Amino acid sequence: MAEEHLDDVYRYLLYVTGDPHLAEDLAAATFERALNRWRRFDPNRGSARTWLCQLARGTALDHFRAEQRRRRREDVYAAEAPTGDEASFGEGLSPALEAAVRSLSAAEREVVVLRVILELDGETTASVLGIRPSAVSTRLSRALQKLEERMVSDVQS
Amino acid sequence: MSKASFETVLRELRASAPPAPAQLRERVRGLPEPRVRAFGFNRRPALAAALAVGIAVAIGAAAIQGFQGSSDRRRDSLGAAAAQVRAPTPKGAPVSPSFKPAFGKRSDQGRPLLSPLIPGSRLQHYDVSMSARVEDLSSATKSAVRTTRRLDGYVSGADYSTGRSTGDSRLDLRVPVQHVQQAIARFSELGTILSQQIRVADLQRAVDGLDQRRLVARTVIAELEAKQRRGELTPAEQAELHGARRLVARLSRSRASLVSEGTYAKISLTLTTRKPAAKQTAPGRFDRFWSDAADILGKEAIIVLYALVVAGPFVLLTALVLLAEHARRRRADSRLLEEAA
Repeated sequence: MAEEHLDDVYRYLLYVTGDPHLAEDLAAATFERALNRWRRFDPNRGSARTWLCQLARGTALDHFRAEQRRRRREDVYAAEAPTGDEASFGEGLSPALEAAVRSLSAAEREVVVLRVILELDGETTASVLGIRPSAVSTRLSRALQKLEERMVSDVQS
Repeated sequence: MSKASFETVLRELRASAPPAPAQLRERVRGLPEPRVRAFGFNRRPALAAALAVGIAVAIGAAAIQGFQGSSDRRRDSLGAAAAQVRAPTPKGAPVSPSFKPAFGKRSDQGRPLLSPLIPGSRLQHYDVSMSARVEDLSSATKSAVRTTRRLDGYVSGADYSTGRSTGDSRLDLRVPVQHVQQAIARFSELGTILSQQIRVADLQRAVDGLDQRRLVARTVIAELEAKQRRGELTPAEQAELHGARRLVARLSRSRASLVSEGTYAKISLTLTTRKPAAKQTAPGRFDRFWSDAADILGKEAIIVLYALVVAGPFVLLTALVLLAEHARRRRADSRLLEEAA
């Protein structure tokens, strides 16, 4: 199961975090969590991929919360440290598209990766995100619109 | 941007989606095997099973209680009936069998109780009281009077009253003891017997006592009369002779009265056209089973309802708090992802 869905989990986490190293760590943590909770997996409630994406989202959110707390603590003493490596959302991605994806928020990139790259249907995506399918459509529409606008402005400039 | 070029962008996104690095693949492969719990169970099936077991126990308890309840009541009723049959009657004491059949059609249950009415050689007084529901009060009353006269009896009292829809008739009858069985049998054919009571009092002992005293008194009289014939009777003995004769006369009257009492049976017959208030039928064992089981289920439902009423507000409050917390957490997560780079 891990081998089969590793790519999907990694791609999801890469788009959510925008950091390949962090995505790698979180993917490993996700599978560790999955192995600990594998008895809770119920195939009647959804596929293994959906369940793993839900776990990956939980892992990512835990990381963001921890980061938020850490930043609040450190803000008292020092300015936020600059992010290290420049993230890459794919080897063959054009710089313009790379920049456009980067301009999206994590929430927008999340819905894009689930619907466009992992090609989950609206219901499954809604189940992963814990929102209604109509909210998924809205969020995807906005994200793609934003992506389009950014691409157009890049082409024009 | 045209639709075609946008499709190209989406295809580019899909095509350039990076695979998981080999390093990550190795890390995941190196993860330890999940621990297998000896008594692991899923919560949902366990909850469903617990609920099913609870319902089964509740229904089973109701069924067992219903079964036991119906058996106990049947045993009680049988025991009471047996105790009534076995109840000892003191020797020589008046016998008073009573019979109160259920309302309804005339059936085996409504048969007149005749067994204690077998006149023997002893002198006995019969006091019969019976009531019956009849369709036609007038013809039933006339029939009862005719029956009494045919059996060489007579009517000592009558009370006949009719209303617009109902009527009652009460007859005090005297029937020769040797015909009392026939009388009761014929009266029971007038309609449906509602109640019947027969009291039998033994008069023979009293008559025997009177006869004994009369014999003694006559012996005394015979002795005194012999003295009187010989002219040896003293004034005191003369008075004793008169007293003995008076005693014999009194004893004879008492005996005649007792014999008369034992010759005719007293029958109080009440005829009515009133309908029973409601048909009362003894519930069967199956009905009792369902009744008891329903009682237990009702009690269990009350307990569950009580628990729900008591715990309901707390459960509702907890659910609301959990829902609010879930919504707050979802909003916080969305905000967190919006803010994340």
